[in-house]
Amino acid sequence: MTRILFSDKLDNCVTRWQSAGFTVIGPVTKDAFSSYTAVEHASDFDLGIVLPDRSLKELFFPQTEPMLRYTLKQQSINTEDFTPPSGKKLIFGVRPCDAAGLSIDDPLFGWDYKDEYWFQRRNNSVIVTIACTKADDFCLCTSLKLAPDSTTGSDILLRPLENNNGWHAEELTDRGREALLAIEEFLQEGSEPTAPMAVVPEMFDLDTCVAWLQNPENFESKFWKDISMRCIGCGSCTYLCPTCHCFDIQDEGDTYSGIRRKNWDSCSFALFTMHTSGHNPRSTQSARWRQRIMHKFNYFPGKFSVNSCSGCGRCSRQCPVDMGITETLQKISTLHS
Amino acid sequence: MTENIQSVHNNIYKPAIMKIVGRHDEAPGVKTLKLEFQDPDDHEQFKNNFRTGMFGLYGVYGEGESTFCVASPETRKEYIECTFRQSGRVTSALADADIGDLITFRGPYGNRFPIENFQGKNLLFVSGGIALPPTRSVIWSCLDQREKFGKVTIVYGARTVADLVYKHELEEWQNRADVDLVLTVDPGGESPDWKNKVGFVPTVLEDIAPSPENCIAVICGPPIMIKFTLISLKKLGFEEQNVYTTLENRMKCGVGKCGRCNVGSVYVCKEGPVFTAAEVSCMPAADL
Repeated sequence: MTRILFSDKLDNCVTRWQSAGFTVIGPVTKDAFSSYTAVEHASDFDLGIVLPDRSLKELFFPQTEPMLRYTLKQQSINTEDFTPPSGKKLIFGVRPCDAAGLSIDDPLFGWDYKDEYWFQRRNNSVIVTIACTKADDFCLCTSLKLAPDSTTGSDILLRPLENNNGWHAEELTDRGREALLAIEEFLQEGSEPTAPMAVVPEMFDLDTCVAWLQNPENFESKFWKDISMRCIGCGSCTYLCPTCHCFDIQDEGDTYSGIRRKNWDSCSFALFTMHTSGHNPRSTQSARWRQRIMHKFNYFPGKFSVNSCSGCGRCSRQCPVDMGITETLQKISTLHS
Repeated sequence: MTENIQSVHNNIYKPAIMKIVGRHDEAPGVKTLKLEFQDPDDHEQFKNNFRTGMFGLYGVYGEGESTFCVASPETRKEYIECTFRQSGRVTSALADADIGDLITFRGPYGNRFPIENFQGKNLLFVSGGIALPPTRSVIWSCLDQREKFGKVTIVYGARTVADLVYKHELEEWQNRADVDLVLTVDPGGESPDWKNKVGFVPTVLEDIAPSPENCIAVICGPPIMIKFTLISLKKLGFEEQNVYTTLENRMKCGVGKCGRCNVGSVYVCKEGPVFTAAEVSCMPAADL
């Protein structure tokens, strides 16, 4: 026996969660562009899309974030810490790949030095994921050993009903249990047939690719130049990626007062690694694309035992020159290591 | 809306405030600043953690932060010294700062030279140009407990006589009976009264041919000098695991999150900056 949340009760749930102190967030399409956005009513959600254009990452690691305010007065410096808004968030209609993205980055923000900007938001959020019944040609979760109904990173997993009129609700964590408890009166005990999961074909054999990447001889393979020749270094793939975490620290202000910010940065940019001397360890676009692939499938798993890719496919879907992780790994999987 | 609910020590990006108590011109465009902690807790944290080889992020609010080594030794933790060449926005602001001004420091970060393992051994320091500061931290850390180490040889070169840094200390080392100092400048960089060697560091090193027997080499310099010095050391019979160097890469966070300082799979900020030549030779050369 499981519990069912019927679609017509969703607005009651949203209101209930809001009165329990949650800011309710979900996929919203505005001007033909979709992102995870705060809503007032359930009718604001756009639950019909494969996945939002922008990933979930920005709710935990914003594109720009103030860290501290400084004020200089004669012989003293005053600083004041900014901290993320402490309010609770419930994010509804998250895709499994986006939810997995969060748990992929947890060890990175936590190893040794703990980034409270990330963790305060993580601890204040409930992730309500809806399993995918639709996929497009760019989805590749199965190639990353995830699935349209993966539970990684989620507090609640909702499985759509066959009649498309609601979801089976599965609580995965204590936080998920509390969120369901708050809407208990709108849930129905029962069991209804669920819709078939989206079919996401496997695009490449990940283990073959990883073995090729781990072979030091392939670091300077001609392959990297060939595959990245058309990369224009725009950085879109890194900004849209649910797991790309690189950032810059910049001061906004003058000598007397201002704000120190953490801003998204990208390994696609030439300045990213440029030394003051002019020496640049990754001076070509192919070296930078190699870094991105190596980081995701060789370096990151070497440190944290998980690939830094959850298979959302945004890098390929929205690349202006039609590159992406899928194409690169597909080609690698055909090379002989 | 933001709330100030976090305690200072939880914000890993918040620097300590330092007062400039000393300022010295080393070479054209190169300065040393001597810094004192303003908050006793920050100082205590530094004293507990700093070991030679570690680095920090030095900053001026409104300009940003720059990464360089702590140039002072682990045997002198009452202050921090940093030596830098004025070349970008932050270093220009640091160069403009005067005695009594306040700047910021985050650190110490990274790993260290394991000098306790160097005890009883001969030490060979090879350094070029603006790379003497990281080496100098190790040199003084050893010279301050001189009896624990064998023969100390320092080979230091710069482009020109003017470009040699720590000139006052070079003189001191030259006058010490328990230190062998070999100075050199690149051909054409000598002055009329220059009495030391003329030639590139690797060449001079091969000329003086220090014995690899029971010897640890610490080398630091521009990439091109390191490359050829490693070749010379190999010729002289030094084994890669007895040769230490320190790498520098562009950094923003210093704590393994901002994603740019890696050479291959190695994060310079976390696993470095100090590596043996054996470790460096495992890194992809094209990423250095």
